[in-house]
Amino acid sequence: MATTTTNQDSQVIMGRYRLGPLLGRGTFAKVFKAHKVHTGEAVAIKVFDKEAVQRSGTGEQVMATRSRIYFAMEYASGGELFTRLSRSTRFPEPVARRYFQQLITAVEFCHSRGVYHRDLKPENLLLDARGDLKVSDFGLSALDGGAGGSPRGDGLLHTTCGTPAYVAPEVLMKRGYDGAKADIWSCGVILFVLLAGYLPFNETNLVILYRKITESNYRCPPWFSVEARKLLARMLDPNPKTRITISKIMDRPWFQKGTCPLGDMPLIASAPSVLEAKQQHDEEEDGLAREKKRSKVIMSSPTIEVRPPSMNAFHIISRSSGLDLSKMFDAEHRLEARFSTRETTTAIVSKLEEIAEAGRVSFKLKEKGRVELEGSQDGTRKGALAIEAEIFQVAPSVHVVEMRKTGGESPVFRDFYKQELKPSLGDMVWAWQGGDSPPPALVPATGRRPITRRP
Amino acid sequence: MGCVSSKQFKGAAEHEDPAVLAKETTFSVSEVEALYELFRKISHSIFKDGLIHKEEFQLALFRNSNKKNLFADRIFDLFDLKRNGVIDFGEFVRSLNIFHPETPLADKISFAFRLYDLRGTGYIEREELYEMVLAILNESDLLLSDEAVEQIVDQTFRQADLNSDGKIDPDEWKAFASKNPALLKNMTLPYLKDITMAFPSFVLNSGVDDEEL
Repeated sequence: MATTTTNQDSQVIMGRYRLGPLLGRGTFAKVFKAHKVHTGEAVAIKVFDKEAVQRSGTGEQVMATRSRIYFAMEYASGGELFTRLSRSTRFPEPVARRYFQQLITAVEFCHSRGVYHRDLKPENLLLDARGDLKVSDFGLSALDGGAGGSPRGDGLLHTTCGTPAYVAPEVLMKRGYDGAKADIWSCGVILFVLLAGYLPFNETNLVILYRKITESNYRCPPWFSVEARKLLARMLDPNPKTRITISKIMDRPWFQKGTCPLGDMPLIASAPSVLEAKQQHDEEEDGLAREKKRSKVIMSSPTIEVRPPSMNAFHIISRSSGLDLSKMFDAEHRLEARFSTRETTTAIVSKLEEIAEAGRVSFKLKEKGRVELEGSQDGTRKGALAIEAEIFQVAPSVHVVEMRKTGGESPVFRDFYKQELKPSLGDMVWAWQGGDSPPPALVPATGRRPITRRP
Repeated sequence: MGCVSSKQFKGAAEHEDPAVLAKETTFSVSEVEALYELFRKISHSIFKDGLIHKEEFQLALFRNSNKKNLFADRIFDLFDLKRNGVIDFGEFVRSLNIFHPETPLADKISFAFRLYDLRGTGYIEREELYEMVLAILNESDLLLSDEAVEQIVDQTFRQADLNSDGKIDPDEWKAFASKNPALLKNMTLPYLKDITMAFPSFVLNSGVDDEEL
């Protein structure tokens, strides 16, 4: 790779970091040891080579400032494939195949350049304005092998919602694995989800889930065609050595069926519901009838239906902290919190469920993106605590989650919020809103003031 | 009623008689007096002249006197009925009255309209809504693409701008707000219903403000 890092030992980037020795090298990036110029603090810096990134065809550009790293990439205005799937519950086979063809083509392209995704899942599948599938985050984990020695699978489990549902058995078992074969397994799971509208391996109990995955123990619903079943069986082969290869997938008659130039034509012909979702996306408020077509969110069995209401502009505006005069009275008495996230509703819901489980409170998913957490009546402090969380869609793939106390004592709520809810949400949160907890980067040091709890 | 005496502070503005304010608003006399405690706290947080300045208002809302916010600016401007750059006690009480739980919805709807009619043209224009959406996203540290913002604005206009003339007039706003009551949630402060009860907690916790000064 043609990088331009000359004179590495003395190079200072952006006046802030003095580059040290090369630690590792990936497809698009190198990792250097570096030191903060002012403090001498040691850091690792991942330097992406723009040319290499551009050459790779992913079209991403990376920029960095002190507090942020920017990835400029193609705007997938069609949102997540998953969202589309949520609207129509499951895809008819020709539509699923079309997405699958695009997925396999993209994966094959990257594999041919030695890049493995390792975290293929619906959240990483985006649609552009024309409805064509784009795979995001490809190559972001490209350094795992280079910097850390032999490839290891544990990085894979650090997905936001912590579900191994898409992960190949050999990865789960933390054996050394072939990235290409692991990606094929994930593609198989995705194909199943596209066709079925739910996951092939789905258990709340992780032990059982692991067992089902390693045994490839799944069942196809009756509407799957014979060819689709056969292909799935070859892709979800627990043995990576005998698992089908990308080129063999592409050779299959089922895969080649209905191959047509990528554009809107096949979509129009075969899937009115998808087209409708695409073109009338922003008119969805108009058709109340369409509201009834609730989507499915895939999580613990049985599948649960969620459809977050989308917020109109005034709803969003009305939540400005500048319009919240209650803060003049007493900020500490606030019994609600709000954050935005780029996670899917599924991830949000399963995170809340996880938190509920850990905090030993009951978890109830209501319709329309509402979740209720309730303390069990076991005489503990949390007994009467009840929290409602509501999920709204602000834009494609941006959700706002509002949580408020609906029962129980205020101090109990605040403790639960501060000690369990807020820390557990962690990375899922894009930004806390409402002004009570601005993201640290936004608060000037002089203006930061801890909330006084006692006079 | 010594607490509302204007002679307490040198150069302080004349404060209106609580009885007069109570008569004009939903508040009782003792509630007006309780509000005075709040007003005094805010209006003496920086300039100590018995008037709420913009910086003091920002301090009360954000615990930061320098924090600029489009919506806080709008609220301040609407509270400043005499348009002299400061909020006096009478303005404070009359404006907060809009936020009282028992104030008729129509009053809240009309206040919200003026709030969002940034340039005071009598209409909420598309550009104004766009500007406000940008402001709230910015405030929330949400970075959305221009297209996404356009989409949000377009979608809202399709629902609210019934005659499709590119602006929302007061009648359209009334219909829209009545259909979406959640929009006006921030126009009601439950605290105001028992301000005399809520107020002691404010006093207890009010040490917060001083740290900023």
